[in-house]
Amino acid sequence: MSDARYDAIVIGAGANGLVAAHYLARTRKRVLVVEQHQAMDPSADIGWVPPQVRKDLGVANLRVEEPDPWLTVPLSGGGTLELSRDVAKSAEAIRRISSADAAKWHEFSARMHRLASVLEKLYLASPPDIETRDPRELARIGSLGLFVRRLGKQTVIDLARFLPMSIAELLDDWFESDALKGALGALGIWHLRQGPRSGGTAFNFLHHHVGSPAGVFRPARSNATQALSDLKGVDVRRGQRATVLAKNGRATGVVLEKSGDTVLAPLVVSSAPPRSTLEPVAIELDPEFAWAVRNIKARGVVARGTFTAGATPAYWNLCIAPSLDYLERAYDDAKYGRDSAAPYVEVQRTNGRVELHVQYVVPGAHQGLTERVAKALNARPDQVTLQPADESLYHGELTLDQILFMRPVPGWSRYRTPIEGLYLCGSGTHPGGGIPGAAGRNAAREIV
Amino acid sequence: MTRYDAIVIGGGHNGLVTAAYLARAGKRVLVLEKRPRVGGAAVTEEIFPGFKFSMFSYVVSLLRPEIIRDLDLPRHGLHILPLESTVTPMENGDYLAAWADHDETRRELYRHSPRDAEAYDEYGRLMHFMAQAVKPILSMVPPDPTSFAPGDLAALLRLGKHFRGLGAERLHALVKLMTMSSADFLDEWFETDVLKATKSASGIIGTFLGPRSPGTAYVLLHHYMGELDGVFRAWGFAKGGTGAVSEAIASAARSFGAEVRCNAGVSKVLVKGGKATGVVLEDGDELAANTVITSLDPRRSFLQLLESSHLPDEFVSDIKRFKFRGSSGKVNIALDSLPKFTCMPDGGPGGRLHRGAVSISPSLEYVERAYDDAKYGEFSRRPYMDIVFPSMIDPGMAPPGKHVMSIFVQYAPYNLNGGWTDAKREAFGDAVVNTVESFAPGFKSKILHRQVITPLDIERITGLSEGNIFAGELALHQLFFLRPAPGWAKFNTPVRGYYQAGSGTHPGGGIMGASGRLAALRILKDGK
Amino acid sequence: MSLRTTPFHARTGPLSEGQAWRRWAGYVVASSYELSHEREYHAIRNAAALFDVSPLYKYLVTGRDAARLLDHVVTRNVAKAKVGQVLYTPWCDAEGKQIDDGTISVLEEQRFRMTAADPTLRWLHLNSSGLAVSIEDVSERTAALSLQGPNARAILQVAAERDLSALKYFRLTNAKIRGIPVTISRTGYTGDLGYEIWVDSAQAVPLWDALIETGAPYGVTPAGMLALDVARIEAGLLLIEVDYFSSRHAFIEAQKSSPLELGLGWTVATDKERYNGQAALEAERRRGPAWQFTGLAVNWDSLEKLYAEVGLPPRVPTQAWRMSVPIYDPGGRQVGYATSGGWSPLLKQYMALAHLESPSAAPGTQLRMEITVEHRRKQAIAHVTPLPFFNPERKRA
Repeated sequence: MSDARYDAIVIGAGANGLVAAHYLARTRKRVLVVEQHQAMDPSADIGWVPPQVRKDLGVANLRVEEPDPWLTVPLSGGGTLELSRDVAKSAEAIRRISSADAAKWHEFSARMHRLASVLEKLYLASPPDIETRDPRELARIGSLGLFVRRLGKQTVIDLARFLPMSIAELLDDWFESDALKGALGALGIWHLRQGPRSGGTAFNFLHHHVGSPAGVFRPARSNATQALSDLKGVDVRRGQRATVLAKNGRATGVVLEKSGDTVLAPLVVSSAPPRSTLEPVAIELDPEFAWAVRNIKARGVVARGTFTAGATPAYWNLCIAPSLDYLERAYDDAKYGRDSAAPYVEVQRTNGRVELHVQYVVPGAHQGLTERVAKALNARPDQVTLQPADESLYHGELTLDQILFMRPVPGWSRYRTPIEGLYLCGSGTHPGGGIPGAAGRNAAREIV
Repeated sequence: MTRYDAIVIGGGHNGLVTAAYLARAGKRVLVLEKRPRVGGAAVTEEIFPGFKFSMFSYVVSLLRPEIIRDLDLPRHGLHILPLESTVTPMENGDYLAAWADHDETRRELYRHSPRDAEAYDEYGRLMHFMAQAVKPILSMVPPDPTSFAPGDLAALLRLGKHFRGLGAERLHALVKLMTMSSADFLDEWFETDVLKATKSASGIIGTFLGPRSPGTAYVLLHHYMGELDGVFRAWGFAKGGTGAVSEAIASAARSFGAEVRCNAGVSKVLVKGGKATGVVLEDGDELAANTVITSLDPRRSFLQLLESSHLPDEFVSDIKRFKFRGSSGKVNIALDSLPKFTCMPDGGPGGRLHRGAVSISPSLEYVERAYDDAKYGEFSRRPYMDIVFPSMIDPGMAPPGKHVMSIFVQYAPYNLNGGWTDAKREAFGDAVVNTVESFAPGFKSKILHRQVITPLDIERITGLSEGNIFAGELALHQLFFLRPAPGWAKFNTPVRGYYQAGSGTHPGGGIMGASGRLAALRILKDGK
Repeated sequence: MSLRTTPFHARTGPLSEGQAWRRWAGYVVASSYELSHEREYHAIRNAAALFDVSPLYKYLVTGRDAARLLDHVVTRNVAKAKVGQVLYTPWCDAEGKQIDDGTISVLEEQRFRMTAADPTLRWLHLNSSGLAVSIEDVSERTAALSLQGPNARAILQVAAERDLSALKYFRLTNAKIRGIPVTISRTGYTGDLGYEIWVDSAQAVPLWDALIETGAPYGVTPAGMLALDVARIEAGLLLIEVDYFSSRHAFIEAQKSSPLELGLGWTVATDKERYNGQAALEAERRRGPAWQFTGLAVNWDSLEKLYAEVGLPPRVPTQAWRMSVPIYDPGGRQVGYATSGGWSPLLKQYMALAHLESPSAAPGTQLRMEITVEHRRKQAIAHVTPLPFFNPERKRA
């Protein structure tokens, strides 16, 4: 039994866990953060960090990278397509491969940005509670509706039409260039066990566009977790895996795996995946709820890794996804339980580190994967290090049935669980992965 | 020149339903059908002497009970017979069967998985509730969410209330159904692969999607919606084939005074001052009418029959974007005798296998791979098939002792690599026959005649664009207030006096008649 | 294909004089063996009746967390039960509405047999996440006979060659009958002295023969469901899908009932940790259930009078009925409905089982039950009667 008494324990010292912990600490709660890894993960946080987090918590050391060009796409005939933060400059670059596509770039960028702004609004608060009878919540939903309508009739139609669409259908409606469609389409399948022809991938594309300027279709990168770790005000214990304790429907604290210590607290907030958080206390749950937790789709499809290039690469962000069909065939392999024979590879250069995102990599033996990735990069296998993930790095795939009031499980989207005093605040909750700190902030606000 | 109150273009079942409802309300109605017989894709033809086939559509699914009652269809010859069992032969020689009797089905499932046998009932109950939740929407004119008109706002509110009234649990299930893939949805319930494959196969019919594609779960509901109409037996086989359904509706329409003219294709809709005034027939004749109704698909209705100058640009580009992508074919076979399936050589007690459907969907991977072929522009080498033997249900379909066999096949993409040719058609037919043969050795030797229908053939014969059997894909972004185009889902069109009543409008799909009925009600309301 | 027959069918099949069979859980069982069920009924109360109850669903729950799982599912306290004990218990959904009822036999430490009227395997699995437990469906593997009536003990003692007087009500023991290993539990569905004998399906026929031969001098009589139905109404025992709807089958809320509304308050434990429906049941117990499940005795004079009005002598149903019959208060307001009823040949009473709104459910309350006399609806006077109607001392002695 630990002597320190805490008001709250937060599981996980990633961006969401730390954000939740510091929001709680601001309300004079004594907060302990327990992190299973001893060492800090040196890789960058990928995704837009809501400015509110930075402001509320005074995150001084936050550095957000805005690479320009934001994407470099090798072209089949040699040369590259460079997409810049300047919309006109991108259009100019696109014109070299398709003047028709270049002509549409401005409008496409604007339309997508408008739609992403709707999501942005939804993401900075708890998801709308569609079953509510509470007049305040009804008013909030009403004002959301008005917000959307004010963006114009086209936005309403676009939302209804694009969200369930596949990214392939969406892009085919706009563009003709395989290279451009492949590069954009890749964002639609990020962290999903779906191909570009699968419905809902257009939503995933927009999800990852949230917070980016118009015409930039790759999320920002930052040192959010490190910057948050520098903040004072909470205790952090690293290298300990925590399991929730609960009795008679109430959370009582956590038990630390390595030391076997029990730390008691009336409030436990977990940024770990919903399933691994809740399974140890399944006996406290209604069978229907336990079933819903078990049914969360969180299949691993991504290997992250590093690329030791000989010299600093000439690009910031390189995308190997030459066409939608290339991505679709990569997915076909995953569908039948194999790593992609020709995977989608993205190389991201961040403060001296060169990181990799490889998809689709499914649980299994990963025979020859490193070699295939190296080959795609014209590099040697020893230059490539990969860490395949068996479970979704987003703790739950961002498919349409697992977003908003359906995330992490239907009806329990407001960070609560049926166990009193146990809350969730990780990527597995609304708004999901790729937006570091948003879930942590929403959860803390819900708790307070 | 006779002046009609209404001219209906196209004598398919929806066009006929519209005509019947309008005539019943006392309107002077003319139906114009291009082919020598009414029915469109719901026709029965004696393709080989003595052998009759429901050439395209072969089961009556969800024909609205209100239409059966309002038009008194049984008196006009409609007799729907049960088609109650499904047998799925497996590649290991075993099978999975769903029989008419609940206890028997349970026992059969129990053989494969005791847990699934139980889940099956619970799943069935959930689907019953879901069907109940969705059913009112089928008979509703979709409100326009972009409109600020009081009528639309009120309808949206009513709709919101309806969904909230379902309760949280069912609402969530509905969201899942609308967005998930049938394979993922079924994975939550069942462990038996062949069961998931057979159930999910019903989710891909008429779509260009595979069982693992999101958006296919919703179609799982259709079968249960049929059950809701229980006593009306909305799901079954029409005596005399599906053509008999069309004939019954045509007969009802005539009894109310409508005129039905065959061999009368329409080449153009006449528009004067932004209003439809009549039609021009293919032979050049002009016919005048106060109202013109098209029951053709949106592409033909707006891009072929009308000059685009009569339509707003935005609408034209929406219609151009409307997806068809026909994916199904049909093989009609005249048989010397019934094939014997390896999994059940005696056909089960009383030969019941042949009285129901045989589903060639032995595993999820099988169906998914069939889709993969089509995704890249080929017909499935080993396709998903839904097989029925109509002569086992209605002996009048074939000469005594002989049989007809109807094989619905997926996938056969309209845009085949290199295009459809006679040789490709036969190769497709061979793939179908060979696949059946692999489950029923000796089948080939029983074939007397075969007719192979590709999506291109469907388009050529019935006029359905790209051979899409639903007159436009039933995908989430083409449903409800988006069908066929945002702002124009209420059966009217940008041209005054020109209405749409085909399956390309809400709710569309199958031999339902709902679109035709809703269109007629809208026209009658506007006429007041 | 076609319906299943039970492991005793080789014997029960030829006994059926009128081929009167009914369905039970996908099996066929005898409605009655003789053309009338009357003698079979009297055997229950007068000698001994032998029922084939094999179609019951049976699950073997074993492992370290077996009791924890069962305690999570059912309302009674399983952890407290001793080896050799049998618990009758309902189980509920999260809202405290009854899903099913059945028995749990404590066969050994960490080894339980659960019986259920409906398939329950999936529900047990759904409840078992994170538990070290194995759940096995032994429905087909295990056959069961029910021997009920005043002579039941005598017959079994001879057959098992041992004294059974120490085997108390709702206790079980292992035994051998002609060398066949069986489990004997002092349980049943008649409210009489009786036992259920559980056996491996492969040994079903020899067991049947043994009991019939041993029982002949004691008047053992194979009996069917019609006779059982009368006896269970006399005993005030619930029948699922007749007297209540499983909450998992109900289409609307109003079709669901809680154990407290079904007269099973005594099975809802107050001394155990969280179980399905606990919060809802505790709240309901505090505020008092809205409904009661109780007996109704139809007044004979009233019946006689209603028939006399049309010039007929009073008539009572010859078989137990299973349908919904409206119950009114004297002011004519409907206060409930009866779900089963019939004539008790033993008690000479027209009895019914009814759901009544709590204010109208006090014993002795005078109500009216709808009956049809010569095609016309009438109301007969009936009084609320505590259950069971029949409760002989020998049941527990």
